[in-house]
Amino acid sequence: MTKIDYKLLVQIYLSFFKLGSISFGGGYSMIPLIEREVVHCRNWVDKEKIVDIFAVSESLPGAIALNCSTFVGFSIARIPGAIAGLLGNLTPSVLLVLLLSAVFSKYSTYPAVRSAFSGIYPVIVGLILFASYKIARVSIKDVTSIAIGIIAFLASLLLHIDPIPLIICGAAAGIAIGFGRSLFKAASHEKINNKEGHKQ
Amino acid sequence: MNLLFQLFFMFARLCTFAFGGGYVMFPSMIKASEQNGWGSASELTNIIAIAGMSPGPVAVNAAVGLGYKVAGVPGAIAACLGIAVPCAVIVVIVATFFFKAYNHPIVQYALNGLRPVITGIILYAGISIALKNGMLGTVPAACIQNGIYISLFGGFFELKSLLIAAATFLILLKTKVQPVFIIAAAGFLGVFIF
Repeated sequence: MTKIDYKLLVQIYLSFFKLGSISFGGGYSMIPLIEREVVHCRNWVDKEKIVDIFAVSESLPGAIALNCSTFVGFSIARIPGAIAGLLGNLTPSVLLVLLLSAVFSKYSTYPAVRSAFSGIYPVIVGLILFASYKIARVSIKDVTSIAIGIIAFLASLLLHIDPIPLIICGAAAGIAIGFGRSLFKAASHEKINNKEGHKQ
Repeated sequence: MNLLFQLFFMFARLCTFAFGGGYVMFPSMIKASEQNGWGSASELTNIIAIAGMSPGPVAVNAAVGLGYKVAGVPGAIAACLGIAVPCAVIVVIVATFFFKAYNHPIVQYALNGLRPVITGIILYAGISIALKNGMLGTVPAACIQNGIYISLFGGFFELKSLLIAAATFLILLKTKVQPVFIIAAAGFLGVFIF
C-alpha cells in the first residue's frame, strides 16, 4: 500500500464533478465523456482497460454512471480513488436536484408549472422507452430472449410482480439455458457446431 | 431517524438489484412510496421528471428527490447514501476479486438471461408512468387537463401526451439532441397546450 496522494484524489474528484455536472440523461450518455476525460485528457487509464471497465460497470447493479466513476477511480488510486470518483460524480447531482426540488415544491401549485410538467411527463415516458430500446438492442438476440423480455413485461404489467424476483428468475433462466445449450452442443453432431459457429 | 433508515435501506435494496441502471428502479420506487404513504404516482412522476432534467446519474437524482420530499435534506442524504454505499461496495469487491470473472461462462449466461428481463421491466416502467398519469388506460379517467382523449381498441389514449412521447423517442433515435433540451422544449410547449 503506497502513501495516499491527496493531490491525485482531488484531481479525480474534480474530474468526476465536472463529468457529473455535464452529463444529462444518465449513465449511457456519460460513458463517452468519461472516456475522453480519463483516457485522452488525463492518461489515467489506457484505452483497452476502459472498455473492460465499461463492460463490467454496465453489468453490475446500480446507477451505471456511478459504477463507472467508482470503477475508474478505483483503477487510478484504489479505494481512496473509488471514493473520490463516486463523491465527485454525486456532488453536482445532489446539489442541483435539491435546488430544483426546493424550487418545485414552492411553485408546484401554479397552473403554468403544472401545465409545463404535463408537457414534460410524456418526454420522461419517451426517455424511458428509449432506454428500454437501447438495452433491447444489446439483449434481444434470439427467440428465447424475445420471449424472456415479453414474459418480464407482462408479469410486471398484469401480475404486478416486483422487478427484483423477476431479475433473479431471469439470471437463473439464463444460466439454465446457457448450460442446456452447451450440453446440447456437446451431445450433437459436429454439423450443428459448425452452424452455430457461422451464426456468430 | 427511523424514516432515514427506512429510506436508506429501501434505496440500498433497490440499488443492489438495479441491473441495467436507474430506470429499472422506478416501478419499485413508485410502489414502495405508495405503500409507505410517501407520495402518489403523480408526485413520484414529478420527482422522476426532475431527476431526468438534472445532470448526473438518474438513480441518484431520483433518490435525492424522493428523500428530500419525504424527510428534507437529511432524507435526501440518506436516500443518496442508499444508492452510493452498495454501489461502492459492489464495485470495489468486483474490481478487486472478480474482474476476470466477468468472462466466466456462468456470468455471461446469467447476464444473457437478465438483460431481456431488464428490457421488459424498463418498458414497463415507461408504460406504467403513462398509465398512472392518465396518458392511456383501460377505463376513461380523463385526468389530464385539456387532454384530447380518444377511445381505440377498448382503451383510452390522450393524443397530445402520446405525440410528445413518440416525438421524444424519434428525436433520441434519429438525432444527438440532449434529453434536457427536449424536456425544456416540452415544458415550454406544455404551458400553451395543457
